[in-house]
Amino acid sequence: MRYSLASQRDKFWGAFFFLIALICSLLLAAVLLFMLKESWPVWTEIGAKSFLLATAWNPMASPPEFSIAPMLVSTIWVAAGSLLIAAPIGFACAIFLAEFAPAPLADILRPVLNILTGIPSVVYGFLGAAVLVRFFERSLGWSSGESLFLASLVLALMVLPFIVANSEAALRSVPAEYRYAALALGVSKTHLAIHVLVPLARKGMLGSLALAFGRAAGETMAVLMLAGNILLTPGSWLDKGEPLPALIALELGSAVPGSPHYQALLAAGLVLVVIVMIINLLLNNYLHTARNEVNRFE
Amino acid sequence: MRQKIGIMVVLISLLMMSIIAGCSNTNSDADKQNVKAPEQNVTIKVGGSSTLAPIIAKCADDFTEEYKTWNKVDSSLPEEGIVIFVSTGGSGFGMKSALDGTFDLGMVSKTLKDEEKEQFKEGEIIQLGSDVLDIAVNPKNPVAKVKPDLSKEEIKAIFSGNIKTWKELDPALPDRPIVVCVRDLGGGASEVFDKAIMEGTPISNQALQIPSMGALAGKVMDNQDAIGYVSSGLVNQNADKLTALKVDGIAPTVENITSGKYQIGRPLLLMSKDKLNAREQLFVDYLKSDKGRTVIEDLGYIPPAK
Repeated sequence: MRYSLASQRDKFWGAFFFLIALICSLLLAAVLLFMLKESWPVWTEIGAKSFLLATAWNPMASPPEFSIAPMLVSTIWVAAGSLLIAAPIGFACAIFLAEFAPAPLADILRPVLNILTGIPSVVYGFLGAAVLVRFFERSLGWSSGESLFLASLVLALMVLPFIVANSEAALRSVPAEYRYAALALGVSKTHLAIHVLVPLARKGMLGSLALAFGRAAGETMAVLMLAGNILLTPGSWLDKGEPLPALIALELGSAVPGSPHYQALLAAGLVLVVIVMIINLLLNNYLHTARNEVNRFE
Repeated sequence: MRQKIGIMVVLISLLMMSIIAGCSNTNSDADKQNVKAPEQNVTIKVGGSSTLAPIIAKCADDFTEEYKTWNKVDSSLPEEGIVIFVSTGGSGFGMKSALDGTFDLGMVSKTLKDEEKEQFKEGEIIQLGSDVLDIAVNPKNPVAKVKPDLSKEEIKAIFSGNIKTWKELDPALPDRPIVVCVRDLGGGASEVFDKAIMEGTPISNQALQIPSMGALAGKVMDNQDAIGYVSSGLVNQNADKLTALKVDGIAPTVENITSGKYQIGRPLLLMSKDKLNAREQLFVDYLKSDKGRTVIEDLGYIPPAK
């Protein structure tokens, strides 16, 4: 505790809440350790390099081959692609809601965007399969509509509310002095929003991208139905692929627990968790070390 | 201030209670005892193969409609409502869950290996019928008229990716890529197909892996260039939207299947780790009775020979 005048009661409650926070962090560590333990033979026998970089996934061959490079590429491609589609739209929505929207309109738009998070992902996958796949096959004449692009498109819709909500909060947290200064100097609202407020709020906006990436990389049902699930490394955005969550969801049902197939699937799950954690940590690190420009003059 | 502390204490004690309750359920043996104790087991939980699920669900509905309470089925049982839960998850999941007690009966639609049969030697394996996999294409696909009979080698070549376009199969067909649709590569249907046709040749890595038989049928129904192995039940139910091709001149008709000439098939099994208790036995008897056989036939599957 920072204050040496803390009473006994304060110290007690402080320690108590610290304990609860510790339990939550330990839960995360427990999950990681469990997955590591269950998949340990994969790391010792196949080796991390071969597992992560080779391209043959063949659980039915004898001996079975397990390598997830194509799935890693698909996962990152699908998630990055969805951010590519959702970020411009999300940032634009956030700027509109924070600066330009009249209050009644903003009050309607915000809950509507938040409802998008409430729609179950399997519904997104189903709608994508029923409507978008057919659209790509019939109108554009593709032989089969599933592709990473389609999965990215639907994922973009799913992560849009995260980007909008967090970016809008970041924009709103810029102190009001900047807006008054702009009014006093006669600067147009557009110039203010794009050249002053967005750079000041960029920490929060980039942070929202990290959250969106985590959601997009881990999304299972939608990509299971839309990405095509083929075992090749995708060469273009329009190719089919099999992101890691789809791989696990597809094959875990038929893998016997304790078998090498099961261990490989758990190892793939561990890799997925670690990737999302690393991206989050890197982004948070960048955001903390970058100078906090909003407080530069205070 | 006092009110806030009071609310805080209530919330924290709720949190503690839920943590403790969560921790105390790790003894799965105690759990299994609870589920399998004969007099307390009122619900029957069945799960596993997505092929068998509609059959069992329909029979469960009919059974519950007809009898409503257990004492009407067998007067020695008490008057409790009949509750049967049916869920999916795949044959592998069905077997695993039958072994660990999550389900009372596991639904499995594949031929069992010896090690798998070993795990159930204290229980029962009941065959409810057979399912046959048809090689299905979209009725708008010209192959249905131009070349409705494929040899086993041609099917193997298509599914392994050696023949990539319809034109390569037969010059009269359009030059469009063949969209090969398969089930997930570790699953029951995939093993059956591998044993009967592929015989170890790996499936093309361009093939779309589809999570369930229903979705596979839907894909072939929607896409003119698609070919896939679809459960005969689904083909029979959607005769106008799916066309089955002959394999080596043998069509997947009931006679060819019961005589054994059409070979791409798998048994539909119910598996239980321990001997069936009274209620489960009654339900299984219903499934094997004429009423159960009618449901199996109506849905397009093959009941076992009498």
